[in-house]
Amino acid sequence: MDESLIPLRFLLNGRECNTEVNCNELLIDFIRNGLGLTGTKRSCDMEICGACTVLLDEKAISSCSVFAFEVDGKELLTIEGLAGREGLHPLQQAFIECGGFQCGFCTPGMILLAKSLLDENPDPSSEEIQDYMDANICRCTGYQMIIESIQYAAKLIKSKGA
Amino acid sequence: MAITIGHSILRFDGPDKVTGRALYASDVRLPGVAHAKILRSPLPHARLRHIDASRAASIPGVVAVLTRENLDVTSPYYGAYIKDQPIVAVEKVRYVGDIVAAVAATDERIAERAVCEIAVEYEELPAIISVEDALSGTAVIIHDENPARKDPKYGYGASLIPHASSNIFYHFRYERGDVKKAFEESDHVFEETYDLSSAQHYPLESHVSVADFQDGQVTIWSGTQTPFPLRQEIARMFGLPLSRVRVMVPYVGGGYGAKSGIKYEALAVALSRLAKRPVRLNLSAEETFKTLCDPSARVTIKTGVKKDGTFVARHCEVYLNGGAYANSGPTVTERAGYRAHGPYRIQHVTTNCYCVYTNTVPGGAFRGFGGPQVSFAYESHLDMIAHHLNLDPLQLRFNNLLDKDELYTAGNIPIDCDLRSELKLLAENIGWGKQDPESRIRPGIKRGKGIACGVKDGGGVNKEANAVVKILIDGSVILFFGAVEIGQGVRTALMQIAAEELRVKPERIQVAPIDTAYTPFDRGTHASSAITVMGNAIQAAARDAREKLMSMAADVFRQPSSTITLDDGKLFAGEQSAFIHEVMRRHFGDLEGEILGIGRFKVSRRDDAPLGYPATFWENGLAAAEVEVDEMTGVVKLIKYISLTDAGKMINPLHCRGQEEGSVLFGIGHALYEQLIYRDGQLINPNLVDYHLPRFRDLPRSFHSIILEEGGGTGPFGAKGIGEGGTLGAAAAICNAVYDATGVRLYSIPLTSQSIWAACSKNSETPKEGD
Repeated sequence: MDESLIPLRFLLNGRECNTEVNCNELLIDFIRNGLGLTGTKRSCDMEICGACTVLLDEKAISSCSVFAFEVDGKELLTIEGLAGREGLHPLQQAFIECGGFQCGFCTPGMILLAKSLLDENPDPSSEEIQDYMDANICRCTGYQMIIESIQYAAKLIKSKGA
Repeated sequence: MAITIGHSILRFDGPDKVTGRALYASDVRLPGVAHAKILRSPLPHARLRHIDASRAASIPGVVAVLTRENLDVTSPYYGAYIKDQPIVAVEKVRYVGDIVAAVAATDERIAERAVCEIAVEYEELPAIISVEDALSGTAVIIHDENPARKDPKYGYGASLIPHASSNIFYHFRYERGDVKKAFEESDHVFEETYDLSSAQHYPLESHVSVADFQDGQVTIWSGTQTPFPLRQEIARMFGLPLSRVRVMVPYVGGGYGAKSGIKYEALAVALSRLAKRPVRLNLSAEETFKTLCDPSARVTIKTGVKKDGTFVARHCEVYLNGGAYANSGPTVTERAGYRAHGPYRIQHVTTNCYCVYTNTVPGGAFRGFGGPQVSFAYESHLDMIAHHLNLDPLQLRFNNLLDKDELYTAGNIPIDCDLRSELKLLAENIGWGKQDPESRIRPGIKRGKGIACGVKDGGGVNKEANAVVKILIDGSVILFFGAVEIGQGVRTALMQIAAEELRVKPERIQVAPIDTAYTPFDRGTHASSAITVMGNAIQAAARDAREKLMSMAADVFRQPSSTITLDDGKLFAGEQSAFIHEVMRRHFGDLEGEILGIGRFKVSRRDDAPLGYPATFWENGLAAAEVEVDEMTGVVKLIKYISLTDAGKMINPLHCRGQEEGSVLFGIGHALYEQLIYRDGQLINPNLVDYHLPRFRDLPRSFHSIILEEGGGTGPFGAKGIGEGGTLGAAAAICNAVYDATGVRLYSIPLTSQSIWAACSKNSETPKEGD
């Protein structure tokens, strides 16, 4: 097999991580199998559904369509790293309270995409949420309750900051 | 007073699912596990001449290669009603994607490469893609092997018509009255034909089976909706006692019917037996598309009416494209046939519903289960009749709808909700009959409103459910039941029912994971059945546990049982009171004992019920749509959408809303976007680039769901099942709105912009309905 190992140094959910990966390994496989973080979900495998969304340097990307070595020198956030010591992130809390998920398979990606939205735009309108979140697919909820979850999370974040 | 019923208790699975901790079948990791890949047929129809897997088997890392040569099972065939699908192809392949062979290897990529090294010689046979071709006199018979089948016993008015040497594998007929005579006596007779594409469920989690076969004992982890029927099939195929087959169901990443019944589990078991180690099979998205679909349908509907619009007679001919294997097609056929005449008072009815083998992806259970196919036809057809008679479509519905407590057919439970007042409420909400001032503003853009109303018999037939409620010595409670958490929130809702009966706080209750080794039997999580069928079983189990607790308290307090009351985790008898755990400790001693409550529910057979069993409840789905149609481009926009359903009683309102709105999006998706397309026998869009699933931007500009609580359900506290109603009204409401806007009637879904544009262009030359 023509595979060579590449050394990797990056921040994984806030912690320094030194390891190596095969040069042809996809980020999603590295996260799920190499790092054992199975919260990142695989579905369409072609950057359409967003179930595998992670944040790389705070930007939402589909981990199914990126090589693992591309995280070198960067900061990777997976769903496992979102909750802080003080408990769930406001988005996680809001998704629970507002019915923002059902089967839960799209949820890690959905929440991380929503985080990237709220980082860029802390007070999005319903249309802005729809436009931004259009990158990810949910087959269960009918989307409205996800929109409401994000709006509620925005409120929670604001009241926390104030 | 209700302590949990009717409250949106936060979901059990919330913290797991929002933190990524939730374990799905695709996350199960076993030591020494091998990874499986499938060799699938590139041809739609062919005889297998020769398979040579020796090169694949010799690749380092390959631990098992499964072909027909080394299947070695009691029976290689499976299927819910007709045993026609082999674990791997035996004689023939019957669609592109059919399973020819499979490999297990230490690494997924080795397995992938090894699959390519299997040499197969095919003898190509003529391929049949459409129902029309399948029924032509010269068509080859796709299943000439005479598969074993188990046919149901029907009751009054229903029958199963056998077809020898035909590609029709199921023909359900329902009849009452004298349709022929009634058509002759009608003032008008209308007949139309409607077409629906086949659709893909696309659960975000693909099918996953992890199997471990060791010492004649099988353990399976599967994201299945039906753990017990799965256990049954595995035991039968491998010649094992049921007790040696153990099925565990972790969280399931979406089902919608796709994961009902056995799918790939037998293949994983056979590989594991050969490999002598656990095997994991996780399909790709493309393979999910090639596993099961919603059968496409052609529905011809003919209605005889009086001058005033009173329905007299209806004749429906429904053809479903069942694909290469029967799967749950027979039941979908039966249900589509039984539902085809709609929720109207029609004295004379004949329906024939056929399911036909073709060389395409097998059709089967899909949210709505045959209901959306026929409701699209009967609700579009009704509008057409109204326009011809110059009647308001709303009024025509009012005139013909079944009343509450009126029979849909003999032998079934009567309609358990007030469809007429529901429709009235819906019409008010959409502003029926009122012209929107915006509608004439922009040139080339037209606005219109449409309405539709469908029902389906809910809760499935012949479904047995069992449940166990354990009260532990510390007063905490564990529930054991087989209803699968596929996202609907069933664990939380059933926990609420138990909490209500036991008068304990929800946080004192846990739900045990599903493991057929100790979970009591259940027929499966489908047909919107969990809250009624399993709900009744869990309620009975909780009541049984409560009775036992009360009599224990009577002993401890030395008071007659009749004086004991239970509330807020405490037992009372006159002046005395004690917490549940105190009573139990005084009875058992400090460390021992538990209370075991057992419950069972099953709707009893009725020989006069057309399907053999009455429904558990009537699921209803009403929809009102307002659309904007751009006649120049054919683009339809949903301006406003209102859905309405009756939950009987909402156990958890937040979950109910989620179920309703999710099912609406399934309906809208099918109406506007979703279709599986074949060219030269190949499914050409088996991926999310080419197959359009509804996305955030596809939401109607304004979308509102109304969930009523009419209290007529047979579930706990008057509950009915929901979650499929939203699929019933969508397509017809949207098509009726397009007609209202443009005067163009569309007879097939999805409504692509091409089809609308073509119809609009043609329409400028032809008269409108009713002109």
